[in-house]
Amino acid sequence: MARHQRRVGYGLPLLLAIALHLGILVVSVIRFPAAEEEPPNRAIVQATLVSTETATDRAQRAEEAKAAAQAAKQAEEEAAKQAEEAAAKQAEEAAEAEAREAARQAAEQAEEAAEAEAREAARQAAEQAEEAAEAEAREAARQAAEQAAEEAQRRAAEAEHQAKLREEREAERQRQAEEEARRQREAEAERQREAEEEARRQREAEAERQRQAEEKARRQREAEEQRRREAEAERQRQAEEEARRQREAEEQRRREAEAERQRQAEEEARRQREAEEQRRREEAARRAAEAAQQGLDQAIAGESESVANSAQAQEAANGFINLVRQAVEQAWAIPPNVTGNATAEIRVRLGPSGELFAASIGRSSGDSAFDRSALQAVRAAAPFAELRELPSSVQRQYREFNLRFQPGDIR
Amino acid sequence: MNDAMSIPHLIINASGVVQAVMLLLLLGSLLSWVVIFQRTFVMRRARKAHRHFEDRFWSGVDLNELYRETPSEQETLGAEHIFRAGFREFNRLLPKTRSPQAILDGVQRSMRVAWSREEDRLNLHLVFLATVASSSPYIGLFGTVWGIMGSFQSLSMAQQATLATVAPWIAEALIATAMGLFAAIPAVIFYNRLSSESSRLLGKYEDFAEEFHSILHRNLQGRGDAAAG
Repeated sequence: MARHQRRVGYGLPLLLAIALHLGILVVSVIRFPAAEEEPPNRAIVQATLVSTETATDRAQRAEEAKAAAQAAKQAEEEAAKQAEEAAAKQAEEAAEAEAREAARQAAEQAEEAAEAEAREAARQAAEQAEEAAEAEAREAARQAAEQAAEEAQRRAAEAEHQAKLREEREAERQRQAEEEARRQREAEAERQREAEEEARRQREAEAERQRQAEEKARRQREAEEQRRREAEAERQRQAEEEARRQREAEEQRRREAEAERQRQAEEEARRQREAEEQRRREEAARRAAEAAQQGLDQAIAGESESVANSAQAQEAANGFINLVRQAVEQAWAIPPNVTGNATAEIRVRLGPSGELFAASIGRSSGDSAFDRSALQAVRAAAPFAELRELPSSVQRQYREFNLRFQPGDIR
Repeated sequence: MNDAMSIPHLIINASGVVQAVMLLLLLGSLLSWVVIFQRTFVMRRARKAHRHFEDRFWSGVDLNELYRETPSEQETLGAEHIFRAGFREFNRLLPKTRSPQAILDGVQRSMRVAWSREEDRLNLHLVFLATVASSSPYIGLFGTVWGIMGSFQSLSMAQQATLATVAPWIAEALIATAMGLFAAIPAVIFYNRLSSESSRLLGKYEDFAEEFHSILHRNLQGRGDAAAG
């Protein structure tokens, strides 16, 4: 009967109810993030990364550079072929000339030998005649002997004179041949020098064109980051300039080209200084400068490879940048009543494993709430663990970058 | 993103009114569950006690003995309580009047009072469950409407009306409705179940009261005949 007396209290039911609610809460907390992963929120606001460019741009640039490198290599090959041809021709000609010379010398020697023989023969004949004449003279009358001797002498002298004449003519001919050979050699050398000149000029023009292509690509990138219209104007102007410079380069010779190169080196240096502000551009400029400083041949050989490598690295880096941008975009809660053209720049510094070291306002938008929201977005989006997936060579470049925030248009 | 859209995050970031509504609904849900558990235990115990008492009552035991065995008035429950009330009234009236009708009337009245007390005891707090079941969806809806109003107000200040700017507001507003339903659904289910059980128990008590009444009536008839004879 005792069990009838106990009334049901509220302690146990309360405990049970609280436990039930806590259980439901825990289940919802644990399960919801997993369920929510499927619909990725497409942020409408855009956080534009200032110091990087888009993947398409990058690819275009790489392609351009590759094309330029290929063109340069082709030109180089052409020049080499020409030079080779020229050298071969020259060698041929030289050999020909030598052979001719040798033949001539041989002929001369033969002639000389013949001459000497003739002279010898004449002298012997004269001596013999003399001896004979002497003997005869001894035997015959003196006048007769004298006359004979005189006769022989005259004949010998005549023979000698003739021989001398022939010799002179021979020397003349030889001199002429020599002269001709020299002229030919000179012409040869001239032609060779011209060919070399031509090849060098071509190579220079090629290098010029390549460097200009690079420059153009870089300038395009810059322009795209700024305004599209400006980029258009810039490119047109550059095209004109390029055409003019090419014409000049073609018209003028080596000094002009050298001046050009110097000027470009200066320009390059200036751009390098500019690029120091932004790491990536600096990298590109450094590579370009290095390429310029290296021998043209080496540059052309290494260019395509380095372009390919850097393109690959850039591709990975672009992926990282896109991830960062997406994360920041999604973490970004734009405060109400912000004007549409407010722009804030946040400088971000990352640790080696992607954790946020520092985020500071690089350029304020003038609206402190907006700036704060941008900073908060970066802090909320950190850490960027994707940094570790980058190739180690480019990791350091991406440890520091700028993010530009501006409320975008409706897409 | 997931973090920002998770339920706790949304609740924390909601506006004040919506948070108050959510708190109210949470409280309602908690209390309704307390009532559900408590009533379930009470019903189960009452059912068991009733079965036990009926077994004893119909086992052929002497009613005076049974009356003496049962504890005092305040601590008895259910059919036992009705039996005690009726039998006490019967014993009190028996020496005072010779009219069996008067005795039976008094016993019946006393048993009706006891039955009414039992009904009150069994249905305690079930009204609260009914209230939670019917009102919490409306309360949640109010929170949602309020949250969406807030979202549209803030939207009017924003430059671009995009889904991304509206979505968090609507999500956190809809949480209020979800919580209202969360509180209401168990309350409805258990209210129906518990009230039907309570009415079944009360029916059993009523049946017992009638049976007991008929036993007393039989006794009085026998005694009346004996007295008349």
